[in-house]
Amino acid sequence: MRNTGGQLVMLIVINVAVLAVGAAISGGSFLAPFNLQSMAGQLPEIGFLAIGVMLAMCAGNGGIDLSGIALANLSGVVAAVVVGKFLSSTDPSSAYSLAFIAGALLVGLIGGTFNGLLISRLNITPILCTLGTQMLFTGLAVVASDGRAVAVGSPDLLSEIGNGLFLGVPISFLIFIGVAALVAALLKFTPFGLWLMLMGTNPKAATYAGFPRTGVLIATYATSGLLSGLAGIIIAARNVNVKWDYGTSYLLIAILIAVMAGVRPEGGYGRVVCVVLAAIALQLMSSMLNFGGLSNFVRDFAWGALLLTFLAVGRYNVVGFLIPDKSTKLV
Amino acid sequence: MGTLSKKALLGSALAATILAGSAGALMAQNKPVIATVVKISGIPWFDRMETGVKQFQKDNPDVVATQYGPATADAAQQLQIVTDLIAKGVNGLAVVPMDPSVLEGTLKRAMDRGIIVVTHEADNQKNTNADVEAFDNADYGRALNERLAKCMDGKGKWTTFVGSLGSRTHMQWVGAGEENAKKYAGMQLVDANNESFDDANGTYEKAKEILRKHPDIKGFQTSAGNDVLGVGRAIDEAGLSGKVCLVGTGLPNPSQDLLESGAITAIGFWDPQKAGMAMNSVAKSLIAGKKIEDGANLGVPGYEKVKVIKGPGEGVLIIGNGMVIADKANYKEYLF
Repeated sequence: MRNTGGQLVMLIVINVAVLAVGAAISGGSFLAPFNLQSMAGQLPEIGFLAIGVMLAMCAGNGGIDLSGIALANLSGVVAAVVVGKFLSSTDPSSAYSLAFIAGALLVGLIGGTFNGLLISRLNITPILCTLGTQMLFTGLAVVASDGRAVAVGSPDLLSEIGNGLFLGVPISFLIFIGVAALVAALLKFTPFGLWLMLMGTNPKAATYAGFPRTGVLIATYATSGLLSGLAGIIIAARNVNVKWDYGTSYLLIAILIAVMAGVRPEGGYGRVVCVVLAAIALQLMSSMLNFGGLSNFVRDFAWGALLLTFLAVGRYNVVGFLIPDKSTKLV
Repeated sequence: MGTLSKKALLGSALAATILAGSAGALMAQNKPVIATVVKISGIPWFDRMETGVKQFQKDNPDVVATQYGPATADAAQQLQIVTDLIAKGVNGLAVVPMDPSVLEGTLKRAMDRGIIVVTHEADNQKNTNADVEAFDNADYGRALNERLAKCMDGKGKWTTFVGSLGSRTHMQWVGAGEENAKKYAGMQLVDANNESFDDANGTYEKAKEILRKHPDIKGFQTSAGNDVLGVGRAIDEAGLSGKVCLVGTGLPNPSQDLLESGAITAIGFWDPQKAGMAMNSVAKSLIAGKKIEDGANLGVPGYEKVKVIKGPGEGVLIIGNGMVIADKANYKEYLF
C-alpha cells in the first residue's frame, strides 16, 4: 500500500509544526497544561464521529456515514428524556449517569444497526441511506425534545467524564484514546477487520470468496452508531444540556478528518491512528487560530488547503515531484 | 521514506513561518483582555456590533477588546471558540450565545477560573455574571404602539403581527402594545396576533387579506424582523402608503425603500453597536471589581440609567433603554 507510512509521518510533522507555531505566536501559553487539557477535552466528540466515518468508508461501495452527529444528538436527547422520567440527575448515586450512558449507547447501536440493515439488505447507496437516516434521527430528536434543549445536569459520574482529569489528562480524552485503540485492534487482529478491508478493496471478489457481506456491513455501521452514542455521552457530559441541532458543522469536519487521515474514499484502507492524528491536527490548528485572534473564515480556508494537500500527497508523490531525489526513484 | 519525512518537515516549517507571520500580530499584554464572541461573523448585525467593540477599544486603551465569531451558525463552533479563549486566559468574555443552554457548562468552567462572563440576548442564561438586555420588552412594545397611535391620531382599526404565538418576546411586545392602545378610546383592535413566521412573503399575503377584509384599517404593529417588509409591500401595492400606518421591528438597510415611500411609518430595533459597547463596559467594570448598581451609567447611549434585577442564576440582569424607533427622518443614522 503506497505512501501509508508517509501519511503517518506527514501527520506527525504537521502536529509538531502547529504546536511549534502556536507556542511561537502565543509566547508559550499555547503549550500551557491548561490549554493542552482544554484542547484534549474538545477533541473526543468529533474524534468519535470521524472514526465512524472512517469505518463506513473502509467498507467500500461508496460507504459513508452522514448520520453521525444526528445520531449522537438523538442518543443524548432520548437518553436524557427517558432516563429523566425515572431518575433525577441530582441523586447522589451514579444510577442516573449509568442509565444515561447505557441509554445513549443503546440508541446509538440501534441507529447504527438500522443504517447497516438498510444498506446491506435493501442495497441502498450509503450516502443516500445515511442522508435519509440523518434527517430521520434529527426529526426524532426534535419530537422527543419538543425542539428544546434537554437538561442533563451534572451528576458526579457524567461531570467527571466531561470535566475530570486523570494524571492531568482529561478523562474524556483517555476514553477516546482507549476506544480508538480498541477499534484499531478490532481492525487489525480480528477476521472482521480483514473482511472489512478486503471487501472494501474488491466487493465482487469478496462476494465470490463467500465473505459474510451482510454481517460485516451491519457490524460496521453498528460500530459507527455506537461511536455516535459515545459522542452523544461526551457532548452531554461537557455541555450539561443536549439539543437536537448541536454540531451541524461536525458532519463535514468528520469527513474532512477521515480524508486527511488517508482513508481511501473508494474503500479498503484506513488507519485509526491516522484518524486520531488528523483529528488532533485539526483541533490544534483551530485552537491556534483562535489564540492568534484570526477570523474563523481563515480556519475554513486553512482546512480546505490542508485537505487538498493531503489528497495530493495520498495520490501522487508530490514531495518527490517537487524535489526529485535519486535515492527514491526505484520505489 | 526518510527523505520524504525530511522534505515534509521542510515544507511544513516553511508554511509554519508564513502562518506565524500573519498570526503573530496579537500578543499577550498586561492589560485586561475582553473577548466578545458573537453568534456568527460576517453578517450585518454582528459586523455592526464589531464597530461597537472597536469603538470601545478606542475609548478604553487600558483594556484589549476584540471580537470573535464562528464562520458557520452552529452552537458547537461558538462553543469551541469560547473554550479556546478560556484556555488562552482572557479576563472577560462578552458572549451573544447562539444557544444559551449549550454554553452553560463551558461558561461555568470559565467562571470557575475567575473569568468575568457577560451575555447578551440571553435572559435565561444561568452561568453568567451579568446579562445585558437592550430594553425592557414591555417598554418596547409600549413605545412601538405609542408611535403607531401618534400616526393614527389615536383612532381607527389596527391589528398586530407576531413571529409565532410561541415567541415569548413578540407576545410581550404586542401585549404591551394592546395595553397602551386602551388609552385611546378610538383605537379598535381587529384580528390580533397574526402569525408571520418571520417570512416576508407569507406576511405580504396575510396583510393583503387583512386589507381586503378591513378596507378601513388604519394601523399595523408588527414584531418579527421581516414583517415590516411584507406588510409594507402590501400597503405600498395597495397605494395606501402614508394613509395606513405601519410600525414594527425591522432593520434600517432592508427597510430603506419602504421607509422612503412612506409604506413603513417607523421601525424599532436596538443597535448592536451600542449593545457591544455596553457588554464590554460591564465586563470592564466587573473585572475591576466594581458592581453594577441599579440606575448605573454604562457610558453608552441608551444605557445611561440601567435597571438591574436578579437574573435566573447567580448573576444580574441589566436592562438598558437602548431601543431605537427610527423613521424616514432619521433612519440614515443607523444604516446597517
